[in-house]
Amino acid sequence: MIKTSVEPWIEAPLRAFVADAGVLLALLLHPSGQVLAQHGFFRAVDVMSACALAAAIHASSAELGRQLEGKPFSGLHAGNARQIYLAEAETARGPYIFLTVFDQASSLGLVRMYFEEFRATLAAAAPPPVAPQEPVLNANFEGELNRNLAELFGRA
Amino acid sequence: MITRFTPVLDALIRLRGVRASLVVAAPDGIAIDSNLQIGQDGKRVAALAASLYRKARSSATAAGLGATGFMQLEAEDGRLCMIGGDEMVIVVVAARDANVGLIRVEMLRAAEALA
Repeated sequence: MIKTSVEPWIEAPLRAFVADAGVLLALLLHPSGQVLAQHGFFRAVDVMSACALAAAIHASSAELGRQLEGKPFSGLHAGNARQIYLAEAETARGPYIFLTVFDQASSLGLVRMYFEEFRATLAAAAPPPVAPQEPVLNANFEGELNRNLAELFGRA
Repeated sequence: MITRFTPVLDALIRLRGVRASLVVAAPDGIAIDSNLQIGQDGKRVAALAASLYRKARSSATAAGLGATGFMQLEAEDGRLCMIGGDEMVIVVVAARDANVGLIRVEMLRAAEALA
């Protein structure tokens, strides 16, 4: 069975966002590229590549923003018939990256508006961190990534 | 900042009972220009009204009714009026007792001016 999120507190805000904004795909991930929640994906490999690309785009655009404006860009939008919106959501557990894909059934205005609500409900729902965050190391990255994907796609 | 939409929006906001007038990019639901009274949330109105108008246009087309013109939504405390096309939608938020006939005429005029 495909699950929506690795951690249960993400489930309700994500479901509300997807229902309200009418998006096709949604992905919440750690800036390192670890998936935390997804909607609309059917294959673990697609989530894995989307996470890797989203994390890379976020890192590049944030750095570009810092160089141009002294602060990271707040969101990225691209596409035509199918569009992506990529933005950061800050919680008590640290910043997360949010990627969503939508078509003409929704719009950038709706996605931005409901993303603001999602960001607020996510921040309110986030429990305090249980332990100090450890740096993401090569040694444990793949293990954690596979564990999260297995949790989402039913092979845990 | 004065844009080519400013005179049109100013004419609409001057009508009695009008609380907000906006020109919105129809595909994106993002306000291009707006004239808002205090307390009006332009971003939300733009996103939701453009979405509503696009869906109304699709519904009319699906029902074989042709192009959609002026559209009005009556709510408990006011009205939402929209007119536009594929690219732009003009949106007016008005009080319930506003003169809709006059608003409609001004909006048709505005749509012609921006076409």
